Amino acid sequence: MNGAIHVENAVKTFKGDIKAVRGVSFDIAEGEFFAFLGPNGAGKSTTVQLLTTLLKPTSGKLEVAGYDVSKDPEKVRLSIGVALQETGIDPDLKGRELLEFQARLFGFTKKEAKKRADELLELVGLTEDADRLSGKYSGGMRRRLDLAMTLVHQPKILFLDEPTTGLDPANRKAIWREIKRLNKEEGTTIFLTTQYLEEADQLADRISIINKGQIVATGTPAELKRTLGLDAVVLQFDEEEDAVKAQQAVASPDYQTERVKNDITILTENGTSILADVIRKLDEQNLHPAQLNVKPPSLDDVFIQVTNEQKEGDSIE
Amino acid sequence: MNKQQGNFFSDTLVMTKRSIVTILRNPLIFIPNLAISMFFLFVYEAGLSGIANLPAFEGANYLAFILPVSIVSAAIGGAGGAGQALVKDLDNGFFSRLLLTPSSRLAIVLGPIIAGMLQLVIQAGLIICVGFFLGLEVAGGAWGVVVVLLLTLGWGLAFAGYSVGVALRAKNAQSAQAGTFIFFPLIFLSTTFVPYELIDAAWLKVAATINPVTYLFEAMRTVLIDGFTDTWPIVLGFIVIAVLCAITITFSAVSAKKAVSTD
Repeated sequence: MNGAIHVENAVKTFKGDIKAVRGVSFDIAEGEFFAFLGPNGAGKSTTVQLLTTLLKPTSGKLEVAGYDVSKDPEKVRLSIGVALQETGIDPDLKGRELLEFQARLFGFTKKEAKKRADELLELVGLTEDADRLSGKYSGGMRRRLDLAMTLVHQPKILFLDEPTTGLDPANRKAIWREIKRLNKEEGTTIFLTTQYLEEADQLADRISIINKGQIVATGTPAELKRTLGLDAVVLQFDEEEDAVKAQQAVASPDYQTERVKNDITILTENGTSILADVIRKLDEQNLHPAQLNVKPPSLDDVFIQVTNEQKEGDSIE
Repeated sequence: MNKQQGNFFSDTLVMTKRSIVTILRNPLIFIPNLAISMFFLFVYEAGLSGIANLPAFEGANYLAFILPVSIVSAAIGGAGGAGQALVKDLDNGFFSRLLLTPSSRLAIVLGPIIAGMLQLVIQAGLIICVGFFLGLEVAGGAWGVVVVLLLTLGWGLAFAGYSVGVALRAKNAQSAQAGTFIFFPLIFLSTTFVPYELIDAAWLKVAATINPVTYLFEAMRTVLIDGFTDTWPIVLGFIVIAVLCAITITFSAVSAKKAVSTD
């Protein structure tokens, strides 16, 4: 058993010819923190359900922890922990009861289950509320309990489907901290799906952007920004007249310039490398910008860019 | 810490225990069920006992005749509640969490089914107690009561299995509720109020003959009214119920496998 995931050309078509996942391939190494980033309905949750044996793939090869999800679903389930988008909590049971119940189903003896429940309650900060009905918990507490249930059997691989959706910033940070710790300290492989760019950027070693059931870009956060996002050099002038002159002065076949009133934006692959050139050209014309900024691309830009490209591609079809 | 595939019996036990706990924590659901089945016994006895004077009854006690109807119809609340419990698990996402554990799908559905069955057996016990209070005499004696309870147990498993299967297919409370309507033809297209010989309509005779519940009524009535002199109707009752259980529990376990998608 290992902590890796291998997916080759996974396809999931629902009744009525709805193609939720259209030929997705990726590899996740043991101990890696991998994020699936995409808008609503992109196929993130369907992919998670395929990998966690909740759905059967229409076609393709999916291996989790070295086991084929179609042939060995029981072995896959033993190796993974899954926190779905919707928490899976019976409101009629107490926090402690739910954890003990979960542990028993993973083969723990009564005594072991008790001990594990105590550890986990401590870990997610629910010790004081352990003997209250979980139905009375707040949204944040339910999320934390759900995460604790996911961790009962110390899975090698953790699937987290939008784990922080609907949480306030404090609870979101608490969940982030815990999953970061699991990845760094315990070497747990993490497959996270999210709509939040900030979340993927902050947490993941590697990101795939998924849209309309297909992966449209993959790389480390830095790589994605570098290959897809462009730096923006922004020049601000006091007078619009100067801005117009400046735009002519700095024009180059190597990059694009745009002017909006007093501001000029230069989009380029590497902002700092053209900076000296731009300043020299402006100096020659005796133009002096009031402000000069270089903005690195954000993952937002990348995300918008790749999902837009796909939209344009679609309209051609 | 070790993790391993849990064993089937301990999984079923853990699941059943959890289902019982959730039933007990919702007394407003199970107490009315208890009350209604005893209410039926009272009204049937009060309103219909006169027909026991007809010769076809051969002097049998109408209370003993109608008691099985009260027990069998209690299943709609008791054992039928298993389906409602499952709809709740589907709604709050707990069922997906169960499917993500290594336990067998059969153990997962057996939890609520056994809990529903136990609820029905307890209801039946209370109905029999009320029956004694109203003057019930059981020809089969203490063993007769045991046989009635065993038949109830089988019926509870069968009906809970059916209601869980329907809930898993329907995935919402309304459709699951609609599925339990099969209960009415089962109860009433049978020898419900009068013996087979007194049924007038030919179509009802045919319906009663193919209705498995008829054999359950006959088995219970035999031990209650005649004791163990003729054992064939009792054996037949157990055979029919066993077949019914096998069908409905298989149906629910297969449905659990198919209920996994959110499509």
